[in-house]
Amino acid sequence: MIVPTLLGITVIVFAISRIAPGDPVSSHISSRGEFDVKKTIDVRKERLKLYGLDKPIHIQYVNWLWRVTRLDFGQSVKHNRPVIKLIADRLPITLTLNLIALVFIYAISLPTGVLAAVKHGRFFDRAISVFFLVLWSLPIMWVGQMLIGYFAGPAFKSWFPPAGISSIYADRLSFFQWLFDRLWHLALPVVCLTYTGFAYLSKQVRAEMLENLSMDYVRTARAKGLPESAVIFRHVFRNSLVPVITITASLFPAVFAGSVIVEKIFSIPGMGLLMFEAVANRDYNVVMALATIAGILNMIALLLADIAYALADPRVTFEGNT
Amino acid sequence: MGKQKEKKAIWGTTLGEFVQQQFVKRPINMVSLVCMALLALMAVIAPVLANNKPLMIRIEGKLHFPLFQNLSPADYCIFLAATVGFLLLLLIRRNHSNLEPSVRGAVLFRQLCLSCTIILIGSPLIFIFVPRRLEAADYKAMIAENKADYAVFAPIPYGYDRTDLMSRNLSPCRTHWLGTDDVGADVLCRLIHGSRTSLSVGLVAAGISTLIGIALGSIFGYFGGKVDFIGMRIVEMVMAIPTFFLIITFVAFFPRSLLSIIVIIGITTWTGTARLVRAEFLKLRKQDFIQAAVSLALPLRSTIFKHMLPNCIGPILVNAAFGFAGAIFAEAALSFLGFGVAPPTPSWGQMLSSGVTTTGRFLWWLTLFPGLAIFLTVMLCNLIGEGLRDAFDPRLKNAI
Repeated sequence: MIVPTLLGITVIVFAISRIAPGDPVSSHISSRGEFDVKKTIDVRKERLKLYGLDKPIHIQYVNWLWRVTRLDFGQSVKHNRPVIKLIADRLPITLTLNLIALVFIYAISLPTGVLAAVKHGRFFDRAISVFFLVLWSLPIMWVGQMLIGYFAGPAFKSWFPPAGISSIYADRLSFFQWLFDRLWHLALPVVCLTYTGFAYLSKQVRAEMLENLSMDYVRTARAKGLPESAVIFRHVFRNSLVPVITITASLFPAVFAGSVIVEKIFSIPGMGLLMFEAVANRDYNVVMALATIAGILNMIALLLADIAYALADPRVTFEGNT
Repeated sequence: MGKQKEKKAIWGTTLGEFVQQQFVKRPINMVSLVCMALLALMAVIAPVLANNKPLMIRIEGKLHFPLFQNLSPADYCIFLAATVGFLLLLLIRRNHSNLEPSVRGAVLFRQLCLSCTIILIGSPLIFIFVPRRLEAADYKAMIAENKADYAVFAPIPYGYDRTDLMSRNLSPCRTHWLGTDDVGADVLCRLIHGSRTSLSVGLVAAGISTLIGIALGSIFGYFGGKVDFIGMRIVEMVMAIPTFFLIITFVAFFPRSLLSIIVIIGITTWTGTARLVRAEFLKLRKQDFIQAAVSLALPLRSTIFKHMLPNCIGPILVNAAFGFAGAIFAEAALSFLGFGVAPPTPSWGQMLSSGVTTTGRFLWWLTLFPGLAIFLTVMLCNLIGEGLRDAFDPRLKNAI
């Protein structure tokens, strides 16, 4: 089922690039400022031929797809390098940032979610749910901008570096110093990426916990005389974790999207910043490549989540479900 | 009053009344609804609240009303639409106390058609009869030179496109309550005018995405089988690309104007609604009353719109409320990145982005206030959405 979906993603990206008014060649020509009409038309035709844009659209698509399968997304106009090399440079940075954020999201949201469910209806639960709603509504660009203004600039405290992922002198540091330097640079972006996901995930954990807490097996466990901690952690918590796996997959797109803004604010040279620069400079090859790759990565994340779900819950089978 | 109650007892409680009762029960819902209404009011009367033209001025014994003479036809159209919308709300309230539930639908439909006609006919008329006047008269200078006897200004006497190089980057003071930005425009004034951008994006984009979602979802859900299978694969494909990535991919290829941003946000965020409507329709299709409608050979239009759709109005409304918040968020993020509306048009996201200058200065008032505005608006939408969800399905709240 994954192959048609991947094909579909490429079709969507390709379609967006082609229904848009104007074509990449014309924008080149007009920016050069050539005034001789005949010559311009000739140049345009030649360019169209060079890029294969004179062929019917479905053949263009097949050609593009064929190149994409060989990971050849063409050249970036701005950087004058193959797009795939650019992405290979940038992807690890975004992944590091997002994985660290994901670890934090889990480390904070699981305990709070469980605690909120256990204290259901009491003050802690109510306070935390209001708190989640507030966090969920906080615009990420605002938080980023405020953090950078107050903690990374001369205005208030300059505890953190305002931009980049490592200091200029990072090459000369020993490994641990380098690691510390890297973490120090990533601290504020991670905070930004963490808080929205954290609010969402805690809410889901709480809902799952509550659903499980009202089940019969919990009553049985309590009737057996198990201590409350065993009931909560050994029975309810484990069962609640299973749906949380699927939720992780749905967190991924949000994390990707958030990273465009966060990477822009903190000037982190990752996928998001690349996307930003590409859109700002109308670097079409890069935009198409990034949209495709983000879609594919996301699909893989969904697939992994499905597999993990099946592994974690033996009741789930793939037969009869397709 | 006694008669009223008697009538009510005969009519019973409709879903709408039930939801209303549940919604009103919690004060937080009402508070957020009132705040939202105030926000909408502020967006509608923005040019009266903040304008560099005086409301009223007396020059050589004659009264002038420059502000109203300088409003654009679009402003008058917004006033008209808002008035008609408000009257429609009043009419709906009246319907509920005077009409039997069975005829309410038809009456409401007629009233909706009537108000749409008024707006559709009124707007072109306004555009024809209200001339676009661009008056360059500097009324403040007139007062300073004692040419005018007296003048009444709007509460915030600055235009949103004001440029004043003498008062750039001022922190909040008595003349500029929330400070000024890098071209000397008043932040409060731009905030007020920016609410128009945000709310219109939220309203129209959420409307587009809900309509697409309903149309596709109902087709997939009603026909099921192969249509459903293929449709859901398409939905999956669109969902696979992260929404914000998809939006800025569109933005990269299309011209950047308010309209195209609204349309782009609308056509990229419908997947949630489509899935929801499809799930509801699949559930409904098995039920007896739909089977009855089908076996009576009612036209498809009637089955879908009269019998099925009203039964899943709850989740759709809740989703639309969250979609509204999401669209405002997306617009703010786009403007923040510089892909939004062009600068003289105020937008909260774009104002926010000018808070940290290229030289590293941090102008806190440029960051704090627009951010606060986005935050409060999104928060209100989310609160209303949650309130609606609880009101439509009180069991959900009791169960959890």
